Amino acid sequence: MDVFFVLTNAITVACIYGLIAIAVSITWSSLGLINLAYGFVFTFAGYGAWLFAEHISEMPVLLAGAGIAMGALAGIIVCLVVFIPLHDKPNFTTRGMIATLAISLIGSQSFLMFFGPRPKSLPDLFGFWTVDMFGVTLTSDKIGIVLCSTLMLFVVVRWMRGSRRGLEIRAMMMNPHAASIVGIGVRSTGIYVMAVTGAMGGLASVLLSQTYYIAPFNGLTPLIKGVSIALCGGLGSVQGAVIAAILLGLVEALTNEFLGGQYVLMTQFLVIIAVLVVRPRGISGLLDKAREQ
Amino acid sequence: MTEILKVEGLSAGYGPLRVLHDLDLVINAGERVGIVGLNGHGKTTLFYAIAGLTGWQRGSILLAGNQIGRTRSQGAGRYTHQIVRQGLAIMPQGDEIFNGLTVEEHLDSGAFTPEAWRTRKARKERVLDVFEPLRKLMKTPVGRLSGGERRMVSIGRGLMTDARLYLADEPSLGLAPKIGRAVMEALLKIDLQGSAMFIAEQNVALLEGRVDRVIGMHAGKLKGEASSASRLIGGH
Repeated sequence: MDVFFVLTNAITVACIYGLIAIAVSITWSSLGLINLAYGFVFTFAGYGAWLFAEHISEMPVLLAGAGIAMGALAGIIVCLVVFIPLHDKPNFTTRGMIATLAISLIGSQSFLMFFGPRPKSLPDLFGFWTVDMFGVTLTSDKIGIVLCSTLMLFVVVRWMRGSRRGLEIRAMMMNPHAASIVGIGVRSTGIYVMAVTGAMGGLASVLLSQTYYIAPFNGLTPLIKGVSIALCGGLGSVQGAVIAAILLGLVEALTNEFLGGQYVLMTQFLVIIAVLVVRPRGISGLLDKAREQ
Repeated sequence: MTEILKVEGLSAGYGPLRVLHDLDLVINAGERVGIVGLNGHGKTTLFYAIAGLTGWQRGSILLAGNQIGRTRSQGAGRYTHQIVRQGLAIMPQGDEIFNGLTVEEHLDSGAFTPEAWRTRKARKERVLDVFEPLRKLMKTPVGRLSGGERRMVSIGRGLMTDARLYLADEPSLGLAPKIGRAVMEALLKIDLQGSAMFIAEQNVALLEGRVDRVIGMHAGKLKGEASSASRLIGGH
């Protein structure tokens, strides 16, 4: 067994699920919505990118862009259907969760209806080449996945830190009531949040389709993993989600190596349970507290 | 004289509770009006009703001629951002602030109009001239500040746009007397230029003789309108 091989696999997986986890985390902390519609966003972006590749162009950059754009569009759809009508009604958290889960399920069935059960595959984004580093062979898609998702995360974090919209979103994360007092509209900010997090989901979808096929029900596993990583990292914290994604990526890679792929979900959830027993607020509970004091 | 705020027949409350009972009130441009009353008699609710933050409300509220009040039974805060964008600056009671943001980001968050956002450097400078102690703290998270500094941030945030009406809710609440006085002093120094300021306060001594009018509030009704400026200083 090769430590570096396991490590590179872990980081690749962590990148993809981390994107979704951060999206879940941002949506929860700014809008108070546990968005279970990322399954829908994920497959929507996947099929969108596939249609784009079939009919328009197979250029990798455009293809990734199409995936991101379709993800953002799906995010806006979810926002218009769920968040805007429900956000100021009583019991929004539960209702929102059920409504977004429903969207995920309806989405899967509709994709099955329109595209049929046969999986689709996207053309390769990163070509076929390898790099030898520290005696490990890194394939092109691993490097590409890590670079693309890090870039996306970097851009999103920069945008959240630097722009007026980002400031509004962060303000809403910390104190929604005070946010409305300073003139931040919950609904318009909601659309921005959902578009950006949807774009992250879209990119994750395109990246994952380098390894797997696009199929109607393929959004479910990334959704479950994304949500559980977000929970494990502490909902609402980007650092926490990154740490949890790396931890769970490592668990996944190690399980694949030693026990076999069928045990991955089991070991992952055992680790999540262990983390939540020790730290009920998730990994980053400590970081958050230190920042406030 | 232009009317900045005109309230007619305003009632508001939360659920079955009715806090405000048919209020009528006019505030003119350039005026600084104080409202005094005990805890729980509706001062904050009046401010919240103007901002559309109460549970329900009815009655007419005109902000610089635009109707911002409406009869509604739910949706607290749904229209607040639109009302705020029409020229309302709220300096809320207590610490309605964003703990993780730095003082600078916090002031930026107050500049919500595109015009204010572009000129936010000059505007921050203006706020810092009023609240000198904040200058050294620009990069500090607001959560680490003292009570007085937080209040300065919260008031400074309200000063970042060109509001028509400033609502200052108990600016001296919970502060040491000396600091409370300093904060009030700063509020009274601000150049209104055709806008108006409405200050809620329990400590009448802080307002007496330094604002144009003082209105009393008791059990959700406005009581008497002592024009303290004309009474104590002999008008102006």
